[in-house]
Order: sequence, then C-alpha cells, then structure tokens
Amino acid sequence: MELAAIFISAVLVQNFVLYYFLGICPFLGVSKKIDSAVSMGLAVTFVMSITAVVSWLINNLILIPYDLGYLQIVSFILVIASLVQLVEMFIRKISPPLYQALGIYLPLITTNCAIMGLALIAALNELGFVETVIFGFGSGIGFTLAIVLMAGIREQLDLSDVPEPLKGAGIALIVAGIMALAFNGFIGMLT
Amino acid sequence: MATKSIGSEYLKGLWDENPVFRQLLGMCPTLAVTGTVITGIAMGLATTFVLILSSIVVASIKKLIPAQVRIASYIVVIASFVTIADQVLKAYFYPISEALGPYVPLIVVNCIILGRQEAFASKNSIGRSFVDALGMSSGFVLALLILSSVREILGAGTFLGYQVMGAWFKPWIIMILPAGAFITLGILLGIALLIESKTKRS
Amino acid sequence: MNLSARMIIVLTTVGLISGGFLAGVAKLTKEKIALNIQAEIEEAIQEVVAGAEINQVLHEEDDLVIYKETKGDGELVGFALQATGVGFQDKITLMFGLDAPLKNITGLTIISQSETPGLGAKIEDWDAFLQFWQNRDATGPLTLRKPPARTAEDLSRSEINTITAATISSQKVLGIVNFSIERLRQLIQQGTIAVEEKDGN
Repeated sequence: MELAAIFISAVLVQNFVLYYFLGICPFLGVSKKIDSAVSMGLAVTFVMSITAVVSWLINNLILIPYDLGYLQIVSFILVIASLVQLVEMFIRKISPPLYQALGIYLPLITTNCAIMGLALIAALNELGFVETVIFGFGSGIGFTLAIVLMAGIREQLDLSDVPEPLKGAGIALIVAGIMALAFNGFIGMLT
Repeated sequence: MATKSIGSEYLKGLWDENPVFRQLLGMCPTLAVTGTVITGIAMGLATTFVLILSSIVVASIKKLIPAQVRIASYIVVIASFVTIADQVLKAYFYPISEALGPYVPLIVVNCIILGRQEAFASKNSIGRSFVDALGMSSGFVLALLILSSVREILGAGTFLGYQVMGAWFKPWIIMILPAGAFITLGILLGIALLIESKTKRS
Repeated sequence: MNLSARMIIVLTTVGLISGGFLAGVAKLTKEKIALNIQAEIEEAIQEVVAGAEINQVLHEEDDLVIYKETKGDGELVGFALQATGVGFQDKITLMFGLDAPLKNITGLTIISQSETPGLGAKIEDWDAFLQFWQNRDATGPLTLRKPPARTAEDLSRSEINTITAATISSQKVLGIVNFSIERLRQLIQQGTIAVEEKDGN
C-alpha cells in the first residue's frame, strides 16, 4: 500500500479511536480541555511512533525467525511499559515544565490500548518497516485529531444544559458516536 | 476499613462498582466486540478467564515482588494468561477467534485487569481476590451482554443469530457501526446514573 | 540481598516461568491452529468447485494462490483461486472456481471482508450477490449490471448483478476476479504453470 494511503487511512478512514475503538480511556478522561488534549495527543504520537519501530524490530528480527510468535503479546507489552518509563524519565530531564504539564498522563499511556493495538495491528497486517513507522505516526495523529476535536466540543458542552445523568462520560460517548458517523464519510476516499 | 462479607465482595462488581458502567474501565473491548451477543459473551468469558487467574497468581506471589517491579510483573502474568486464552480460542473455537480478531490480545491492556491487581489482588488474600475477580468479571459480562443485546436486536433483528424481530422490522444499521456502539453505551451510562440517583434519593 | 539484585531476580524468574509455560501451551495448540486454517480454505474450495477431492497448490504469490482440483483417480475437475485485494473498507479475500477448460466460473465465496455492514457486507449474501457467480463466462472480463437485473436469467453470462447501494464493494470483488483470471492466463502463457486444456484456449 502506498505510504500516503496508509497515513491518510490511519488518520481519517480507520481512525484509531473512532473506528478501532482504541484509546477510549484517555479519550474520555483527558478530552475536557484543549490544552491537555493536545499534550496527551503529542505524547501518545511520540510513544506510538517509537513503539512502531521497536515492535517491528522485535517481531521481525527475533520472534518470527525463531518461531516465538506466542511471545508476541508479552514482549510487546513489556516494550511499551519500558518505553513509557523511558519517555517519562527523558522528558523529566529535558523539559521539567513539559513534564509538569503532562503529569499523570504519561503512566496512563501504558494501558492505552491504542499503543498495544498499534503494535498488534501492524504485525497482523504484516507491514514493512517504513510502512509500520508511517502507520504508527499516522495513528498517533489520528488519535490526537480525535481527542482535540472532542476537547473542543466538550469545552462548548460545559456551557450547555446537559441532562444530569448524561453529564461527563455519557454525553462524551454520544458526541463520539456522532463524530464516528461523521468520520464514516471518509470511507472510500482512497478508492 | 471494615472487611466486607464474601457475598458483598462479589456483588459489588455487578452494580455498585461495575467496571464498565461505574468505573468506566474496559471500554475499548466493550465498544469493539458488542456487535453481536455471541462475540460479546465470548470476549466476556475470555476476560473472566484472564482476570480470575491473574488475580489468583498475583495474590499468591504478592509478598515476593518488590514494589518497584510490581507493575511489570503483573503485566507479564496478565500477558501470559491472555496469550493462553488467545491460543486456546484459535485452536478450539476458530470462528469466534476470527470474529474477535485483534481484540483478544488487547485484553492485556484492559484497564479492569491491571486495575484489580493494583487495587485489590496485591493487597488481599487469595480467596478474597478470587471472589473480587469473579464479581468484576460478572459485572463486565453483564455490561457486554446488555450492550450487545441492544446492538444486535436493533441492528440486525437477531439475538444469538436467531431472528427475533418480525419481517416488518428494518434493522438500524447504525447499531452495528462504531457510531451505534458509542451512542448506545453513552445512553446506557446515562440510564445507570439515573437509576443510581433515583435509588439514592429514596 | 540488595534491592536491585532482588528486582532483577524476581523479574527474570517471572519471565522465565511464564515463558516456559507459554512455550508449552504453544506446542499443544500449534497443530490444531494450522489445521483450522487449512479447514477453512478447504471448505471454501468445496463451495466453489463441486466434486473436488484432492487440492494441490499449483502456484503461490502475494495475494494469489492457485489450486488444482482433481478427483481421487487424477481426473481434472477444475481450479480454485484464492485472491486478496483491496475492498471499499479494507481487504477482501475470496475463493472462486474455474472449470477444467478454463471457460467458466463455477462459483465464488468470500473468505474474509470488512465492508459496510448491511451494504457492502452483502457480498457474502447468496441471494444478493453470490448466486450470480454460478456458471459465468471466464473467457473475457466480467462486467457489472447496474441497475441489477430482476432475475439471474436476465443476466448475460459475463455479467454480475450489482448490490443495490453497494456498487463499489461489488466492483472491488469483480476487479479481484478479473485480475486473477488475467494473471492465471499470463502465468500459463509464460509457462510458469502447465495446464492441459480440453478445448484449446
């Protein structure tokens, strides 16, 4: 598949949040303000891109050649957990203010199904190295897009009269559903 | 903290602390595989398998693990059981495995499981951890059952593959699409909170 | 024992125990899984080439596998082609059958697809789509009939009915089939595949 097609597919047509349902926890939890949404999105994109590289290397240089396919899940999740740990330490050293801003979001990224999902789907589709990197980067951008759009809508919603039981997660999910419908319109744009 | 009875340790997972409706955990699989009741239940059972066994193992070895590496250790334990569940499904329930796709390996990042290890199994006895895991799993399966029933009945007119709506019914395709999943879950959450506030008041 | 050492020992032990355990389970399930995948292919072949008893892989390349179908006594029954291509939403993998002289398409079945539920997904439906693939002319490219004909009899032998509101998915399936037949003929011409042709094609 063409690289541009992979990128656009990951961002719009098969958006990780709105199509694959990955990354819902942070999507609901961190989408209340646009600033935190952007920070989370960028952190996730960063981790996803690196994860794409490392998971491809592990899968194709170690797991497949030595017939260790059954260790895929364990090795992927350990890689992700370590990467997040490293990224956290790295950001803390390089830019303390950024670290303050991201705060608790970073450890949360480990259980972000989007990252694990990325590694698994890329491996499932047997993408090449460059394709996997583009896919990882694109999915991160797609996640960021969804979460920032959601934050924008929710900032407006805060000023509206939402029925009590639907406040918070309820209305967020309904909005997500409408967004998913809208993104459905992107299907077929690559044909 | 007063110790709960075993009964209430189990029941809390069904409603008060229902992992999906109250704790808002495990949403990814809840939305992804509830297009039909059969896949919803299959995912629920697979997650139950992983949650119960992981809780038992973690509760058994909790004293041996230094605090700094506990998350990593829990993850290895969980990931192992997920791999086993994945292999068993592929070998003995191939059509279901195909239908669930990449979402079985994704059980490993289901926040419910890691959450229970951290919040409960690492601090309680094996017996209690087992009951807690059973309760949380039941709550999870319940949530999946409700959501997938709504989606399958309204989206395809069937339940477990059997036609339940008459020929007059035109399925609401949106229910099978991602949008339908989001909206239905949102409404169900709203209903859950509504019931909660009404019962609190009386 | 200091903390670092203990951390390393614990992690390594946990890793080794689970690794060993997983290796064991993998060994137990490996064969069954391979059999399942094979069974799925064989079932698809049975659906599109009636009377086939023995499958033999003639040629395999990215996205296309060509099987030779024979009876127990070696009599050539036909060919089954397993092809994968890009659909409207995601990849479509299908199996279709050709008769021995490569003149007719004997049937088509979908192995996997992720098209729009209720619309494109109807390519799996017998009444809406698959029935029209019985007994089609394979000597030239197939075309889509749009709007769809009322009954199968109204179609010419090189036409397939479009699925209402799912033209693109229908088109994609057609594209995969036409492409695969072309490729098969190309391979025969190049001599990569040797096939006895009954009526000289």
